[in-house]
Amino acid sequence: MMQLTIRDLLPVYFEEERKKRSEIWGKEIVFQRGELTKIIAPSGSGKTSLMHFLYGIRREYTGDILYDQQSLRTIDPETLSGFRSSQVSIVFQDMRLLPEQTVMENLEIKRQLNPYHNEDKVRQMAERLGVGSKLASLGRTCSYGEQQRIAIIRSLMQPFDFLLLDEPFSHLDNRNAEKAMELMLEEAAVRGASIIFADLERIDFFPFTRLFYL
Amino acid sequence: MALSFKPIRPLLQTGTNKSSRLFSYAGLGIGVLLLLCAIQMYINIQSLLREGSIRKNGFDYISITKNVTAETQGQEEKNLFRQTDIDELKKQPFIDGVEPLLANDFHVKLSAGAMIPFRTDMFLEALDNSYIDTVPPSFAWQPGQRSVPIILSSDFLEIYNVFAPGQGLPQISRETATSLAVNIHCEGREKEEIFVGRIAAFSDRINSVLVPKSFLDWANQEFGKGREVSATRLFIKTKDANNPDFLRFLDGKDYKLNKDKTILGRNKMVIDGIFSGLGIFGLLVVILALMLFSFYLQLVIARSRDSLQLLLTIGYSPAWLSRNFSKRFIPVYITIVLTALLVTQLAQWAFHHFVMFDRPELSSFIHWGVWLVGVALIILSIVTNYRLVRKLLYRLY
Repeated sequence: MMQLTIRDLLPVYFEEERKKRSEIWGKEIVFQRGELTKIIAPSGSGKTSLMHFLYGIRREYTGDILYDQQSLRTIDPETLSGFRSSQVSIVFQDMRLLPEQTVMENLEIKRQLNPYHNEDKVRQMAERLGVGSKLASLGRTCSYGEQQRIAIIRSLMQPFDFLLLDEPFSHLDNRNAEKAMELMLEEAAVRGASIIFADLERIDFFPFTRLFYL
Repeated sequence: MALSFKPIRPLLQTGTNKSSRLFSYAGLGIGVLLLLCAIQMYINIQSLLREGSIRKNGFDYISITKNVTAETQGQEEKNLFRQTDIDELKKQPFIDGVEPLLANDFHVKLSAGAMIPFRTDMFLEALDNSYIDTVPPSFAWQPGQRSVPIILSSDFLEIYNVFAPGQGLPQISRETATSLAVNIHCEGREKEEIFVGRIAAFSDRINSVLVPKSFLDWANQEFGKGREVSATRLFIKTKDANNPDFLRFLDGKDYKLNKDKTILGRNKMVIDGIFSGLGIFGLLVVILALMLFSFYLQLVIARSRDSLQLLLTIGYSPAWLSRNFSKRFIPVYITIVLTALLVTQLAQWAFHHFVMFDRPELSSFIHWGVWLVGVALIILSIVTNYRLVRKLLYRLY
């Protein structure tokens, strides 16, 4: 997928007024492959909604989202699952791990869909982000910080052209956040992929090429 | 690396409602068993009755006569069928054909030759071949031919064998009877001619001595009194001899129906009805069990909703998930249907051996049609399951 387009997008539960103040809502923006986009969004500005819309798990919006030239509304579930396993990946703010599976099982369930790395590489990544010792623990026994790092590693298990980040560091200290960002930047660069990173404020260690205020 | 369902399996919470699952399995098993047994019994009944069946090409053939009462006796014109009667019968919607039994218009005597000192007055009748249940190829006659093939009612042979010992005559089997030649004496117009009659076949349907129509037409002309021959009996071809409209019409006309020939047909209908009912009941149980099973599946999916939703979110295809989820139950279905088939086979063997004493018309093995139904049930269960799971998963998407 070369580009991701939003056109006159607005959540149905937002008033039209929002379009005037926002650089995203109500505008037409084309995100190209390879770009690093930062979206700064205060609480309640619809950051998570935007990420969910872009990923196609919610449809309560007016306007349109295009994967290349195809409207997301017209893509059938089978095709969309193909996009999700090979072209678009996401780190959710609420992590969304399987609580009763081990960390390794959580990662494997994602990895086997469309393996980009081998198992050794997975362990290396876990070590690098400081969760190597947690691989055999159940998802629900991990702290939020650990879960967030595992969710980040999970998002890197597949090939992708766009990586969507929804406040991925909310439970991480700066040092761990920086390490995680570094890993994601490396992985995106290897794939020639784009990162769309939505967060509350500006973060120094994300070298964005485009900046929007939501 | 091929996509594996193994890591997904623990996400489906199936364990805690084991009893509801077992109930639906048992229900399905009983339903399938009832259905298969009913089909097999239905097939058994068909095979058993084929031998004695009076049906031919899906029609019942019955003969009717006019009721001879104290008032009408001696009045031929009231006791014989005329062309207008035949035409009227033909018009009825429940009658598919009418054929008169043509009688002899001359004097006929039968003698058994030198071997058996037996001589009797006789009658001959002729009927269109399509109304006769057993027509051998030899049943034909051409002018000049000395031998005349006869189709004899099985009942007549039985009656003969009853009175033969008392008369000092030998009892004879069907096989002997067909090899015997009898002399047919035709007398009339001051002429007598003797033909050699051979029994070509026995008929269970027609209580008569039948000769080829060509022979009787010729003989009536040759020896007859020259009057128009009206029929004393008519043969009726009908889809259902037990049709109430048909019976009511005959009663209204005061026609007498040869009833015992339809009794077998009536019994068959009742038995068919019972097994059809049992089959329908079995089918209902199967449907009920499949429904119960679908509730169980819905419960499993509802309980595993969060995990399944997450799998779909991270990129699992709903079709792949449904396929693999449904696949888990294929061995269960196959086991259930195979068990039912096995029990049906056992029942069939026991029925054939202990109830039917190994009668040759039946087989100890179940009919291939029953196997086919078993396979069809497996496919039906798998398909309905898959469609249900897919529908539920698409709803989660």
